Amino acid sequence: MRKRIAHLRPSAVTYGVVAGLLAVSVQALFNVKPPPAYGICMACHPRDMVNWLLNHLTGSHWEIAPVSATVPLLTTVGLLIGASIAARRAREYRWLSLGKRARSFLFGLLVMNAALIVTGCPTRLLLLSAYGEVMALVGVAGLVIGILCGTWLLKKGLVS
Amino acid sequence: MGPALVTLAMGTLLGYLAQRSRFCLIGGLRDFILVRDTELLKGALALFITAWVAFSVAGVFGLVDFQSPKLQETVQEEGRAATISTPVPRPAARGPVASTDLARQITWTNWPIWALTAVAGIALGLFSTLANGCPTRQHVLAAQGIQDSVFYLIGFYLGVIVFYLITKPLLALFM
Repeated sequence: MRKRIAHLRPSAVTYGVVAGLLAVSVQALFNVKPPPAYGICMACHPRDMVNWLLNHLTGSHWEIAPVSATVPLLTTVGLLIGASIAARRAREYRWLSLGKRARSFLFGLLVMNAALIVTGCPTRLLLLSAYGEVMALVGVAGLVIGILCGTWLLKKGLVS
Repeated sequence: MGPALVTLAMGTLLGYLAQRSRFCLIGGLRDFILVRDTELLKGALALFITAWVAFSVAGVFGLVDFQSPKLQETVQEEGRAATISTPVPRPAARGPVASTDLARQITWTNWPIWALTAVAGIALGLFSTLANGCPTRQHVLAAQGIQDSVFYLIGFYLGVIVFYLITKPLLALFM
């Protein structure tokens, strides 16, 4: 029985609904603000964490969102914990390399820089759009164009 | 302390669900174009619609204050406000205003901001597609033991330092 639960596959729609509800409710009920629409962000929360650490270690004054001033938000840490629990319970944990480490490193660097310019990772862009911010819609439009370009490159085989 | 623990718990639940459902925002559109699989795209739409409805409901009950989001802008505006006798007329409203007002409104005069946002959005989409997934998916893959994603995350977290040391000063030169 327990094994069967571990192998259940909730659909992406389930994740979307749960994530949307949680992102709004942590802001509305648990005071995760300001800035608004900050419930889930895979770029800003790491930013807060890194800058908080740097500020505490070196005494610098790098930018931190007001919520994270005392203790940074730990969404990313939670995500890693939750995902590894799920992977281990379903026996999907594999320590393997796909042979693109340097490329992945570079893309990680670039994605973080782009994300911090548009004030958020794709998830937060959607949340901000839902919140009613016009500038986030510009970001989403750019995101869609970017994905179309990237997929075209993949399809043509220009990039593997 | 409260928000940190709340987000830690939320992240754990989301991480579990994301691993099981293979959720990815970038992958949604990519899979739809490449193999006509709408599963992940539906997830992205569900996220947006749920957040939209939930924000509206929370707004009706007064739980969410619809103000224009200010993270960097406030600091800049406060700084400008401190220097008195600036000839630039400052926006009058400070209280609750519609989120489409003031600083983040799209006008002809602030075209550098939205042009930069659009370009950065394109870069975000392009690089995420080539990196094989949005940041959420990469965290999940790293927890699943894919070494490439671990390296992605190392670059991702170093990217914060690169942004504040190099990218932001460079952008400040032009804006």
